Amino acid sequence: MASVAEVRAAVDAALQQVTESQAAIQAAREKLGEAQQSLAAALDGSANDAVGAAHASLSQADQQLEECLGATLLAIEQAQTYTATL
Amino acid sequence: MSLLQELGAQLRATSDELPTGLVTVAMERLRSATELLNWVRQTSVDPIGVPQLGNAVEHAEHAAAALRLAQDAIAAYLAAIGLGGDPSRPDQDWRQGLKRPDDPAPAPNVAPPPPEKLGSWWRKRVEELTGEAPPAAAQSAPEPGKADTAELLRKVAGGVRSGDRARVGRDLHAVSASSGLALSAITSPVLRRLAGDLLGHEPRADDVARLRSAAAGRVKSLLPGAPPAVLETLIARVCRAPAPEGAQTHPADSAVTAGVLTGVLLARLGRDASSLDPAAPEPLRRPETDA
Repeated sequence: MASVAEVRAAVDAALQQVTESQAAIQAAREKLGEAQQSLAAALDGSANDAVGAAHASLSQADQQLEECLGATLLAIEQAQTYTATL
Repeated sequence: MSLLQELGAQLRATSDELPTGLVTVAMERLRSATELLNWVRQTSVDPIGVPQLGNAVEHAEHAAAALRLAQDAIAAYLAAIGLGGDPSRPDQDWRQGLKRPDDPAPAPNVAPPPPEKLGSWWRKRVEELTGEAPPAAAQSAPEPGKADTAELLRKVAGGVRSGDRARVGRDLHAVSASSGLALSAITSPVLRRLAGDLLGHEPRADDVARLRSAAAGRVKSLLPGAPPAVLETLIARVCRAPAPEGAQTHPADSAVTAGVLTGVLLARLGRDASSLDPAAPEPLRRPETDA
């Protein structure tokens, strides 16, 4: 039979996974920023469509990661509110 | 090296170093957390953050797709300037999850889980999946939570390679729930790479049947208690095909099955568990086959 301690431990284990994913996302955003700078420096002055597409995709990836991070913060807050009621 | 060659090398390096592996690992951790919270809240009307995690997974999927589009655009540009012939470095994402972090992940708001509280829950499910009862020692002395999941994966792969279900069960019983559940995250890029090496090309949606026939029998023999839908979902994700809709499964199922599937694909490639070391030499992709 499950106990409150077990439920709390399961939620905490899930939140640990979320926290680790946040660390990976933050690291990914840092690398993405470096890639954007490197690409901008290398392709400065290019009018090729593919260059514009690459820049746009990297910006979109960064935007999605930012929103991903925001969603994880909300998830953690909600889960912590729940465990506080146990 | 000409100026143009130098530019090409720089762009290839930028493309290769895009954080696709990190995003994949983050996405799988979020999926794993979602499965766990879904299991907790099965009979509760409180969402406990599950919808927000669903949104987070979706954003991570879009980010991963955008990174792939950026890589395609860079490849198209290289082709347009006459540098399309040189192959990029082979996919390195598989190493990402297997690396031991230099420092613990920052956890400002969340305390580490007390693994001993979930130990019996984890071992009960491992027993149901493998048919192997936990050793008496494991019942009384669960391993601390900082066990290395990459090391667990190598052990499981070693047991799979030797076809030793009891050993696979013992290795899974010996770790904490959090270490075991983390198998889901670290195996995802590894599975895609191994499947690609086995098939001879990047896995595609139409490779699902080939991968299933290459792995299902052996996975079933090692995990007789695993619902077939779990393997189907894993294979669909590897091939970036739509995952089958199905009944909710136990949070441990995906992690354990992913670990065993990794071992099965390694065995099919004739590689041993040491090739899962992130510092191991780059494995060679064999030519296109009918795996």
